[in-house]
Amino acid sequence: MTIVQVQNLHKSYGSHHVLRGIDFKANAGEIIGVIGKNGAGKSTFLEVIMTVKSFDEGDVQLFGQSIQEASGLQLKALRQRISAILQPTQFYKSLKVEELLHLFRAYYQSDVKVEQLIADFSLASHRKTYFDKLSGGWKQKVSLAIAFLAKPKLLILDEPTTGLDPHMRQMLWSYIQHYNQKTGGTVILTTHSMDEIERFCDKVMLIEKGRVKQFDTVVRLLASGYASMNDYYLQNVPHEEDAS
Amino acid sequence: MIAVQLKYDLLMFSREIFYVVFSLLVPPATYIFLGQLFSDSTYPGLSYADMATPSFVLLIAFSVVFFAFGFDQVANRAEGVEKRILLSPVSAEILLLSGILKSIIITSFGFVLIHGIGFWLYDLSLRPVQLLTAYGLFLVFNTVLMTVASAIYSFFTKMKSALVFSIIIFQIVLVTADFSFPVNQMPEFVQTAAQLNPMYHMNHLFIDVWNNQLIWNSGTWISISYLIVLVFIACVILFLQPKKSVK
Repeated sequence: MTIVQVQNLHKSYGSHHVLRGIDFKANAGEIIGVIGKNGAGKSTFLEVIMTVKSFDEGDVQLFGQSIQEASGLQLKALRQRISAILQPTQFYKSLKVEELLHLFRAYYQSDVKVEQLIADFSLASHRKTYFDKLSGGWKQKVSLAIAFLAKPKLLILDEPTTGLDPHMRQMLWSYIQHYNQKTGGTVILTTHSMDEIERFCDKVMLIEKGRVKQFDTVVRLLASGYASMNDYYLQNVPHEEDAS
Repeated sequence: MIAVQLKYDLLMFSREIFYVVFSLLVPPATYIFLGQLFSDSTYPGLSYADMATPSFVLLIAFSVVFFAFGFDQVANRAEGVEKRILLSPVSAEILLLSGILKSIIITSFGFVLIHGIGFWLYDLSLRPVQLLTAYGLFLVFNTVLMTVASAIYSFFTKMKSALVFSIIIFQIVLVTADFSFPVNQMPEFVQTAAQLNPMYHMNHLFIDVWNNQLIWNSGTWISISYLIVLVFIACVILFLQPKKSVK
């Protein structure tokens, strides 16, 4: 089943053409990594498929529904099935962790119990902590817990492990993998960690200057002569100094 | 949903010292302080309480709407909260309605607070019909302020610039709205500036209605027309805002 279908997506900020005809497809149960240099258009692409950013041209379908043709109610229904972690992760800073969980539980009209979520994500020690006072790793953990309140069919993560220590990275990935395997949910993420792409992703899309340079399975890319995804990245993404 | 959002909006307001100080502490404290200085003075036919009570009620409304409603929108936008909320299925209408109700509840609390202080400290006489009429106009002015504040703060994307603007505008309003310093005793340019300050017009209309002394003369019509034009311009600005999300 196709979860996300994007055709000829264009997006500009003023005269800056950020996305220049992106084609993309994600099927149910896939974990897809979107990679590229800073400024390549990765985050903008994710924000368009999250439905939080408008676009200029092309077609974006989520769960078979074109988002530009969706009514307000249809868009609301689509957002019930999507969850995301944005970059940087931000919520109301003057609410405590458990208050945020209660508020977002109401937003998503979720039947997931807050206490259960606190137990599942081992949040008990920080339940009374203001979101603003959490470390980066804990913020990501809370964000993921909030994302799972929605029981999403599609999880979109913008650099979810940036700045986290290896323990936190491992823990976040264990949650993401568990979600993917248990629910068959689709995950689309951006990351600069090629190690994570190689270990956890089924497919990878390389964006360069707003265009798709390559979109294939990790297995096929590695089989085409690269020792690792890190090797693939170094050979296919020019360094700033090389490019200039 | 609206009840849950409103509960957390009020909770967040109570935890923001900056909002609480500027909206619920500074105006009543100034009302008491000036009352200690001028409560024996009489204005043409009016006591200090008759003049100052409606003014300080309005000052609270201004502070709440500009800080806890307008500036808060910029803070949420700048910190990425707005984008994250937009991604959830909660509708923008619910968030807006909750923001409006929050402002009305807090400003109404300010209305009661100032009247309570006036009653206990300055022998303010409270007449129910007069109070209800004044409260009705107070709600109308709340709406005017929220519309204008939304339009003004829609231009800001950075918190620092919005904060500097808020503090400066608070000072300007305090000086040129005839709240605590008599504008007619100020230099000519300040008097001219006061005519451009919508709070100056609201203040005089509110004092007149509160004291049951509203006269439909040219000054009244100029004030009302000026406020209507401002609300119209604010609505146009809000309508022309570039669309950020798909819907």
